[in-house]
Amino acid sequence: MREKIAKLYSIEQLSTNNTCIHLLRPGAKLLTTLVFIICVISLPKYSVYRIMPFMFYPAILIPLSETPIMLVIKRLALALPFCIMAGLSSIISVREIAYYIAGFGVSYGLLNFTAIILRALLCVSALLILIATTPFCEIAGVLHALRLPSLFVMALELTYRYISVIFGEAHNMFLSYTLRNKLKPNIELKHMGAFIGQLFLRSYNRAERVYSAMLLRGYGKPQRRDAKMNFSINSGIYAVLVSALCVIFSVIKY
Amino acid sequence: MHMTDALLSPTVGTAFCALSVGAVALTSAKIKRDDLQTENVPLMAVAGAFVFAAQMINFAIPLTGSSGHIAGGALLTSLIGGGPAFLTIAAVLIIQALMFADGGIIALGCNVFNIGVLPCLIICPIVYKLILNKSFSKARLLLSSIIASTISLAFGALFVTLQTSLSGVASLPFKEFAMLMVPIHVAIGILEGIITAAVLFFVYSMRPELLNRTTTQRKPRQKRTVIISLAVIALLVASVLSPFASILPDGLEWSIEKLTGGAEIIPAAIMGGTAIQESIAAMPGYDNGAGLSAAGLIGSFAVFIIAGGTGLIISRYKSIKRKSAAE
Repeated sequence: MREKIAKLYSIEQLSTNNTCIHLLRPGAKLLTTLVFIICVISLPKYSVYRIMPFMFYPAILIPLSETPIMLVIKRLALALPFCIMAGLSSIISVREIAYYIAGFGVSYGLLNFTAIILRALLCVSALLILIATTPFCEIAGVLHALRLPSLFVMALELTYRYISVIFGEAHNMFLSYTLRNKLKPNIELKHMGAFIGQLFLRSYNRAERVYSAMLLRGYGKPQRRDAKMNFSINSGIYAVLVSALCVIFSVIKY
Repeated sequence: MHMTDALLSPTVGTAFCALSVGAVALTSAKIKRDDLQTENVPLMAVAGAFVFAAQMINFAIPLTGSSGHIAGGALLTSLIGGGPAFLTIAAVLIIQALMFADGGIIALGCNVFNIGVLPCLIICPIVYKLILNKSFSKARLLLSSIIASTISLAFGALFVTLQTSLSGVASLPFKEFAMLMVPIHVAIGILEGIITAAVLFFVYSMRPELLNRTTTQRKPRQKRTVIISLAVIALLVASVLSPFASILPDGLEWSIEKLTGGAEIIPAAIMGGTAIQESIAAMPGYDNGAGLSAAGLIGSFAVFIIAGGTGLIISRYKSIKRKSAAE
C-alpha cells in the first residue's frame, strides 16, 4: 500500500527540480499543453505524416525537463488499451487501400490505427510533462486565477492531499486485519462492506481534525499573491512560440 | 469508462467541456447559496480520496472475462448529496487525468459529464428520491443503490459510445460499439450497487445522521425554480423541437382523408368565416414566413402574456374583494 502512495506522488516529486522548463510560469505551461493537445486532436484521422512534427514537443521537452522516459512509457501503458481496441476495429472495418509500400498495401484502417496510437502517445506525454514540471499547488493556483469556483478548487486541493490520509488508514487497517485473521493475504468478501465503511468513517474523522488544524493555520483566507503567478517574458515567449508552431502545423496542409 | 483525448474531436470535447464547466459553476453557486460549504469540505475531500482509491481496485466480472471498478457516483450522492458529490467526482477525475493520464485533459469535459453530471445530478437523486423518500429501510437502500449504479453506468457507457461516434476519429460503428459497452457496464453497475449498499449499511449503522440528511431530506421546491424550468422547456420545445414535428396528417385529418379523399371538410355555411379567419390571422398555418420556430416562440409568448395576465387580473380582483369584505 505504501508503494502505491509512493507511485502516486512520484511524478509530482519530479516537479521540485530546477530545469529551465520547471522555471516557466504554470499558466504558460498549462496553456501550451492545452493548445498542443487541441491541435493534435484536430488533425485529420488518416494523416499520420502531419502528426510527425508534433513529436518534437515531447522529444525536446522530456530531456530538457529531465523527466524519466520509463515513467512516461509506464503511464502511457495505462492509457493505451482503449485506444488499441478502437484502432483495431478501424483495421477490421476500413480495408480500402490508401497506398502501397514495397508491394505491401497500407489500408486506411491501418493509417487510422497508427494515427490513434500516435495521438495517444502525444497527448499523454504532454500531460506528463506538465505535471512533472509543475507542482499541483501551482496548477490549483492557476485555477484560482482563472476564477474557477473557490469551493471546487479547495475540494480539488484537499482531495489530492487526503489521498495519502486514506491510503495511510487503509494500510494500518489492513495490517490489523491480517494480524487478527491468521495472516490471510486478502480481505474476505463477507468483511469487505464493514472494512470499507470503517475505512471511510475513520478517514472522515481524521480528515475533520486535519481540516480544523489547517483552518487554524490560516487555510482558506486570502493569500499573498505568489511570485510565480506573475507574468514573465520567458514564459510569454515560450507560450506564444510553442502555441504558434502547433497551430501552424495543424492548419497547414502538406 | 474514461474517454481519452486520442479518440475525441475538438468540437465534441469543447462542447462537453462547456457543459461540465457550466455544471461546476452552477453547482458551486448553489452550494454556496445553501451555506453548506464549511461542514461539507472535509467530507467532500475525504469522500473524493476514498473514491479515488476505490477506482484503483478492479474486480472481476463473472462470466465475462473482463474486470471493472466502481465509479463512485451513487456512493457519494448518498453520503454527501448530489451537488457536493458532483464536485468531488470532478476533482477526482482531474487528479486522475493529471497524475495518471487516465482520460485526457480535453476529454475531462466528457468524463465529468459521463461520470459526474449524469449519475450525481440527474440519475441518483431521482432514484433515491423515488425509492427512499417514502420510507427508509435496508431493502430499499439495497434496491436504490443497485438501480442507481446500474442506470448511471449504463448511461455513462452509452454517452462514451455517442461521443466516440460523434467525434468520428475511430471507425467504430455506433450500434455494435454500444452493444459491447452497455451490457458489460450494466454488469459492473450491479456489482457496484451491491458494494455501495454494503458500505452504506455499515455507515448507517455507525453514523445514521450521515445518510439521513441526504437521502431522506425533503427540500421545499421553490416556485420560482418551477416557473423558470417550465418556461425554458416551453421555449425549447417551441423553438428547437417544433421544426421536427411530423408533417403527416393528425388523427382527424387522416380519418377524413380516408373517408372523403380530402384533408378537411369545410361546409359551405362557414366558408366565408374561414376566409375572414385566414385574413386576420397573424400566422396562418403556424408559419408567418419566418419559420415554424419563430411561430412557436411568438405563440408561446402570446399564450404566456394572455394566460398570465388573466391570472393576475383574477388574483388582483380577489384580493380587492377580500380587503373590502374584511373592512
